[in-house]
Amino acid sequence: MMNEKIRLEILLNRFQAIVDEMAQVVSRTAHTVFVKETQDYGAVLVSRGGEVFAAPRRYGVLMMIGMPMEAAIAACGEDVREGDVFISNDPDATKGMATHLSDVYLWKPIFVDGKLLCWTWSFIHVSDIGGRVPGSIAPSSTEVFQEGLRIPPQKLYVAGELNKALRDMILINTRTPDQNWGDMKACLAGLATAEKRVHELVAQYDYATIDATVDQVLDYAETQARRVIAHVPDGTYRYTDYIEADMVGLGLVRIHVAMTVKEGEMLLDFTGTAPQVRAALNIPTYGHHGHWMLITGLVNWICTQEPGIAYNAGIVRPLKVKIPKGTILNPEPGAAYGARYATSHKVCDVTVGALAQAVPMELPATDSGQGSILLVSVPDFRTGGHKVSVVQPIVGGSGGRPVGDGVDGTMVILNFLKNIPTEIFENEMSEIVIRSYGLREDSGGPGKYRGGTGIEIEFETSSPYTSITSRAMERYIFGPPGRLGGHMGATGYTTLNPGSNREKDLGKIDVLEMEPGDVLRIGTQGGGGFGDPLERPADKVAADVADGFVHADTARDAYGVVLGPDGGVDAAATTERRAAIRAERGWTTAPLYGLGAAREAHSARWTEELEDAIAAVVADMPVQLKQFLHRRLIDAITERLDDGRGMAAAEVPALLGDLRSAFENGRVAAE
Amino acid sequence: MARYRLGIDIGGTFTDLHVMEEETGRLYALKTPSTREDPSLAVSNGIEELERRYGIAPADIAYFAHGTTLAVNTLLERNGAKAGVLMTKGFTDTLELRRLRLSKANDFFVPKPISLVPRRRVKPVDERMLADGRVRTAIRREDVEEQVAALLEDGIETLAISFLHAHQNPAHEAQAKAWIEETFPDLYVCTSSEVWPQQREYERSLISVINAYVGRRMKAYFHTLEKRTAGLGMTCRVFSTKSNGGVMAVSSAADRPVETLLSGPASGVIGAAYIGRLIGDPNIVTLDMGGTSVDVSIIQNEIRYSSENTVGDFPVIMPAVDVSAVGAGGGSIAWTDAEGVLKVGPESAGANPGPACYGRGGTRPAVTDAYMTAGIIAPDRFLGGEMQLDREAAHRAIDSIAGVLGMGRRETADAILQVTTANIYAELLPQMARRGVDTTGFSMLAYGAAGPTQTFMLARELNMRRVIVPPSPGILCALGCLVADLRADFVQSIWREADTMPDEELQAIYTRLEAQAREWLAEQNVDLEQVYILRSADLCYVGQSYEVNVPFPDTPSDALTTEGVAGWFHKQYARVYGYADTDTPARLLEARLQIVGVTPKPAIQLVAGAQEPHDGPLEKRTIFEHGAEVEADVWRRGSLKQGEVYEGPMVVEQYDTTIYIPPGFRVTVDDHANLIGELP
Repeated sequence: MMNEKIRLEILLNRFQAIVDEMAQVVSRTAHTVFVKETQDYGAVLVSRGGEVFAAPRRYGVLMMIGMPMEAAIAACGEDVREGDVFISNDPDATKGMATHLSDVYLWKPIFVDGKLLCWTWSFIHVSDIGGRVPGSIAPSSTEVFQEGLRIPPQKLYVAGELNKALRDMILINTRTPDQNWGDMKACLAGLATAEKRVHELVAQYDYATIDATVDQVLDYAETQARRVIAHVPDGTYRYTDYIEADMVGLGLVRIHVAMTVKEGEMLLDFTGTAPQVRAALNIPTYGHHGHWMLITGLVNWICTQEPGIAYNAGIVRPLKVKIPKGTILNPEPGAAYGARYATSHKVCDVTVGALAQAVPMELPATDSGQGSILLVSVPDFRTGGHKVSVVQPIVGGSGGRPVGDGVDGTMVILNFLKNIPTEIFENEMSEIVIRSYGLREDSGGPGKYRGGTGIEIEFETSSPYTSITSRAMERYIFGPPGRLGGHMGATGYTTLNPGSNREKDLGKIDVLEMEPGDVLRIGTQGGGGFGDPLERPADKVAADVADGFVHADTARDAYGVVLGPDGGVDAAATTERRAAIRAERGWTTAPLYGLGAAREAHSARWTEELEDAIAAVVADMPVQLKQFLHRRLIDAITERLDDGRGMAAAEVPALLGDLRSAFENGRVAAE
Repeated sequence: MARYRLGIDIGGTFTDLHVMEEETGRLYALKTPSTREDPSLAVSNGIEELERRYGIAPADIAYFAHGTTLAVNTLLERNGAKAGVLMTKGFTDTLELRRLRLSKANDFFVPKPISLVPRRRVKPVDERMLADGRVRTAIRREDVEEQVAALLEDGIETLAISFLHAHQNPAHEAQAKAWIEETFPDLYVCTSSEVWPQQREYERSLISVINAYVGRRMKAYFHTLEKRTAGLGMTCRVFSTKSNGGVMAVSSAADRPVETLLSGPASGVIGAAYIGRLIGDPNIVTLDMGGTSVDVSIIQNEIRYSSENTVGDFPVIMPAVDVSAVGAGGGSIAWTDAEGVLKVGPESAGANPGPACYGRGGTRPAVTDAYMTAGIIAPDRFLGGEMQLDREAAHRAIDSIAGVLGMGRRETADAILQVTTANIYAELLPQMARRGVDTTGFSMLAYGAAGPTQTFMLARELNMRRVIVPPSPGILCALGCLVADLRADFVQSIWREADTMPDEELQAIYTRLEAQAREWLAEQNVDLEQVYILRSADLCYVGQSYEVNVPFPDTPSDALTTEGVAGWFHKQYARVYGYADTDTPARLLEARLQIVGVTPKPAIQLVAGAQEPHDGPLEKRTIFEHGAEVEADVWRRGSLKQGEVYEGPMVVEQYDTTIYIPPGFRVTVDDHANLIGELP
């Protein structure tokens, strides 16, 4: 009898081989740019209980270990047979398994001698699933019905037979039927691979052994994760940040967490988070513990601490959540979800920000927070249609880290994103000339470990009706915070026709039309700095200046490093300058967060107490009323704060009462 | 007078020599310690030792090819030349941005990639080509010279020039180079369009930058090597192996050292493919297991190439033999985690201190310690008895984790081997899937010091029914060196829809590539048995991003048509993906051409160098493997008889490795001295 723990390690490897192979089959067989360049697909094995027990660590979307599948499995009902393949993309019917309509999920039961052993599951982000805009996703969508076709859990294959009616029904509702069917076939090939390999494994071992090991690998990962969490001091850690939804007319949307760590478990209480929005920024988590769109930061932390951890749902078992219904993180059914990535990234920032109070030396400072894909469309005069292409992923720098500088030009969290060679882009789209594409100098937050710089891209169009679309632009108002004395990274910007008399600061863009000769320049955020910049060795600062990562005035003002005319460090002047900065800032213990002036000014007006009170008074209202009154409340408070009248948290219920009766009376009057 | 062919593979620890007597096909093998500071010293040591041991005089060596890791080490250790780069204004961060993607996921502390050339030594030139090769901004001499002068001020030793769209119109690069050579005649300059004119500015630039970075050192090395071999009385020319599995004259290698980066693993696969052809086995998975890693490759009649290779952080898009690393080697460390679960690797004991049994101070158990403790390797017969292994040290190391596992010593060793097998399995299968290969129906050909030890255990797990162990598996790379052909690749990016391209233009491109190729071959100045040219193109469907390399049926360059090429593409696409989309236009991305100059190789009957009298087994040994104790016959490799059938469990010992054959496998020795194991 083999030692159980040896068998565990062997079968962990075998499970890993199955999902990695599956992922390779999916990506090799799929066709679209999404799959190849943004790795937007997934392939996993799921236990009968609905937990992901093996997931790829290198290919595709990596957070699927936190995918809740119970509801989808329940929806399959009793009539589950060998050769069945289920399909769905509906967040509401699957209660948070799917999180927007563009991700089409397929799953298949694996039977051994007529007995269900486990499930295999795969998804691809399809190019289009219908709805009001090409590509289906627009931040400005207000409800799910605008975002495309909803497919509740159905059998795409019944005991191995394709349900042609269902397939045709799906494909006719999309703008890219051939690509979608190609993508679905890629998923099906992946599912078939997994089924075959699981059967081989059972033939080599037996049903009971594999069945028992599925539970063991989940328990094993849980034990490992709990051990990592257990070294965090017990306590409650709070953090707040804002989604910048000004682009869709919603101002700042608050994400708040109170993270309670106790006995190897974390409770993420998102009470105080803003109501769901009439924009495609909602995440349908259905309040699931360890939901994958909430745990990116924490899973990255756990895996950094324990690189050899078994990669499965056991990791997220200790990550409990509490999210009030009707909030942006737990909306009522029917909300719009398409661009929920921006929100998910902000949740990552908030959870990491809170955890930093407990274990600051295990976490990076905040990264650029923007994972936007910039698309350009020009008329195709030959065909009368349009040519569409990705210009570049518009991402910024990583935060400085306790072990070294942040990565320049990209984010550790979005490690998989690839840029597009200018030579290829200009070939595809000769109407556009890229004038420059490079690092954005001096944008990384100063710190002992510098934040990674953002990027800068500038391009010119020669075509009329050039249309630029972008989603998930973020941190144009509040830059990425620094950590432990590190400074904030630069905020993003978008400028039309820079340096000309037609120059215009555009802020975040959703859709922009450009005319022939127009030039657009976009600069992305630098990551926040980590640690006191005065502790950065002066020669490293000098090297950064020589390489243009940091400008000489920032070296002097933020790092306290004075350079001589030859670019070398002026030691005496540096000592003096650093002493002066120390005296001026007046702290001895480095502040944990370097939020920057804009955020500090905002938080001085909108205190945590005030924000909590606002969230609390609207919490229990029906959703539309809540959205409406929440906006009214924010506007009214803004007015009072602007007038200098001030606003105490205790006054919020009364103010809401006034607004509500004014609205209700108004409505009655109108009737 | 006997004539010999010599192949030498310079590795980190050992320099391997393989000699083939041309007339008889008899093989001689030798290992000598590598000399890190001056790798050519080990080469001359080895050649002298050949004469001493086997009486092979340097003057009788008619052909000499060797592989060196100097270029790849220079790159990985970052100790190359101080290089400067000129790039198009607005794009000087191309090397910093890379393609953005990072090497590791789920790791907040993933290492930050560092550019080969610091940002301050990349200077902008105000010039610009458009995608179709038209000039948008003309280049100016003062601008170029000013930037180069600034770089020289900063102390650069070499210079790479890479301008946007230079693959499409190299005029600006060529002009800049000409001006620089006039004004700064001592500066080494290379341009991206002359080294590898393929579209994709980062990857193309990187190739010329790597060339500038490793070039000087390689040139100096080849110079010393030629001096040394000439000094020993060798009169034949010296060849260097290439990443594409071919060889080139060292004079060419000195100009294009970037082509040698992946030559080490490539030579092994060439050696394996040679054996595969010899024995008529078309479908082979090669398994090269050394001290720190396992490399695998696929042979399906032909060797497979890839243009998506990496060296350290760097992508290398020149075609190379498609080899992927799949995890643990003989030096990989076994350990237990906080939950008491047994793990193997990724940490490796390397060559120093090496596994505990090497007796060089290693105390943690490595896979090799497990081989010994399980009874597979005999401590007194390692490397033909030249290296005595320390049994006690291995046992102590194994015991250090046996306690944690609550298992006996032998059971622990066995568990380490099973986990090692599972690790390799988990890495190998997805790699095969990526290439669309199902390993069932393939044979596994094992080499490297530990490959033959592990191969049967792995084959059993992978359901592969046939295992091949060549006569000298420890030095198969050296065999690859001596049987390789002259081989060079040429590329030209096109990026046009096939139906918009006149046939004449297509023909002109291939005609030009062919002329370049024939010129290259002529420069190699070698008597050849046969020359052939392989034409292919990368194509994709418009609107899709998956490209397929389409090898052309043998058609002269001036008879190619775009319609024909598109037709071949549809067929190839259908083969790879199961269906073709003939309604969507095909886009021609790259024109590719490979020239092969087949060197004369005697019709050989490969035989092992030193045959031994056909005695019976040396001894019986108890081995604990796969959860059970087995009594295995221990044989010397040289005493296994052709025509006999042997049954596992057995151990076969030879100078450069130990082969373990578990119960169930049947073993024979073929006409070429290969050991063939099969599951009946």
